Amino acid sequence: MEPKPSPRLTAINQPFLRGSNRDELWLQRCVQPACRKFVFYPRVCCPHCGAGALTWEQATGRGQVVSFSRVFRPQHESFFPEAPYYFIAVRLSEGPLFFSRLDHQGLPVETNLIGRQVRAVFVQHTPEQRLPLFELC
Amino acid sequence: MATGGYEGVVIAGVGQTRYEKRTEKTVQHLLWEALDAALGSAGFPMRRVDGLAVTAFVLPPDNVTVVAEHFGLEPRWLSQGAYGGASGVIGMLHGARAIQAGDADVVACLTADVFDVASHMDLMDRFNSSVRDYLGPYGFGGPNGIYALHTRLYMDRYGATREDFGKQAISQRQNALLNPNALFKTPLTMEEYLNARPIADPLRLYDCVLPCSGGDCVILAREDLVASQGGRRVRILGGGEIHNFPVEDVFSLRGGWERFRDRMYEQAGLGPSDMEFVQLYDDYPVMEFVQLESLGFCPPGGAAEFLRKRDTTVGGDFPINTGGGQLSAGQAGASGGMIGVVEAVLQLRGEAGARQLRARRGMVSGYGMVAYGRGLSCSAAILAREA
Ligand SMILES: [Zn+2]
Repeated sequence: MEPKPSPRLTAINQPFLRGSNRDELWLQRCVQPACRKFVFYPRVCCPHCGAGALTWEQATGRGQVVSFSRVFRPQHESFFPEAPYYFIAVRLSEGPLFFSRLDHQGLPVETNLIGRQVRAVFVQHTPEQRLPLFELC
Repeated sequence: MATGGYEGVVIAGVGQTRYEKRTEKTVQHLLWEALDAALGSAGFPMRRVDGLAVTAFVLPPDNVTVVAEHFGLEPRWLSQGAYGGASGVIGMLHGARAIQAGDADVVACLTADVFDVASHMDLMDRFNSSVRDYLGPYGFGGPNGIYALHTRLYMDRYGATREDFGKQAISQRQNALLNPNALFKTPLTMEEYLNARPIADPLRLYDCVLPCSGGDCVILAREDLVASQGGRRVRILGGGEIHNFPVEDVFSLRGGWERFRDRMYEQAGLGPSDMEFVQLYDDYPVMEFVQLESLGFCPPGGAAEFLRKRDTTVGGDFPINTGGGQLSAGQAGASGGMIGVVEAVLQLRGEAGARQLRARRGMVSGYGMVAYGRGLSCSAAILAREA
């Protein structure tokens, strides 16, 4: 089987991917005093104000489920053995939206996850890269 | 007073290839077949085309310029759609602007793709860099996973039910049965819809399009170059596009049509209640609901109630996707953004066969370019046959 698709390491996203390998969630943050917003996915400029100066800060890893789906038909065959699994949109407490999966065991199928509090947990995605999934608080 | 309309331009011809689940043909072949059919319909020889708008996901490493070379054209205006399923309508609107500006006389607006489920999923896994790097690695399930999240949220926020979405899918299937080019040939029952194979819950099989192969084309021309065609000329009365709207909210459950719809209706001198059919971009039923709301047919969150009271088949009081749409005719990649344009033009020319409406005007809508959590682009146009 092909390996799982993995994010490409770029000059822009290094702090995020290296942070994940230390089990830390790192986000970009705009340095403009009038803005100061957090940013994800990694960008070359702040999508809120257009400024180019972004720093990196470690995030809490906490957030809230905006929406969720049990995926039965993954887009890539490397995920087939794990299906069905929960694909989720998380509103991080710092503000940005983060798409990931729920690391879960024995969750009743009818559970409504919208609004549930979650926290990041890091899993070995490929031999080189760990990535943040989320678990219910 | 309508401003910025599309005066001086007519839609002079329309063409569609056979839709097929599998084909040995290349995308260039399907593009040519659609173009050839549309030129035949317009009565123009190939060499009259001096403007070309092409959208085809599997075209790279070729592009619109290479397509012009392949077909032996010498165009003075070219455009390649980068707006996914919004590209069909946008290509037509931009082509009309080029004709108005004198940059072209005859513009072919052309889409095609060669797809099946596996190649569709492969494309979607690396559709753009945010999808490739920040969705694919989490097993997002392709567009099905993304729109499962939107569908779930829509149901949770507005109380729409699976049956509400099913009613629309079933109506489109009925329309498809009257379209010889639709890939689905048998009726869909509510029981089949509700109990179909789960794909990404709450989405099941019949909430998702069938990736396929095919091509679609309309020919635009300066009005003085086109004989009246016995009243079969079609005009663009209004249109618009918007991208990345609203910029700060991925889960607004709006597409952005509300941003330009007033101007579009003003250009046309018409309102939602004047539309005699609507060809919606139906990648998923929930997006049809969002379009009806954003285009002003009903208030936000009101589409389920609106549709419960209406019959959207070709025999009904509010026909939607009269050829079956992508859900029941098939989604030939980028042609999914043109199938509604072609269907609207066929209806207005009186060439829709067993599914022919008595309609003088209607709307077509486009939507696409899935990125980090939603489609980025939307478009719409109001079309009418000449009196
Ligand atoms: Zn900023």
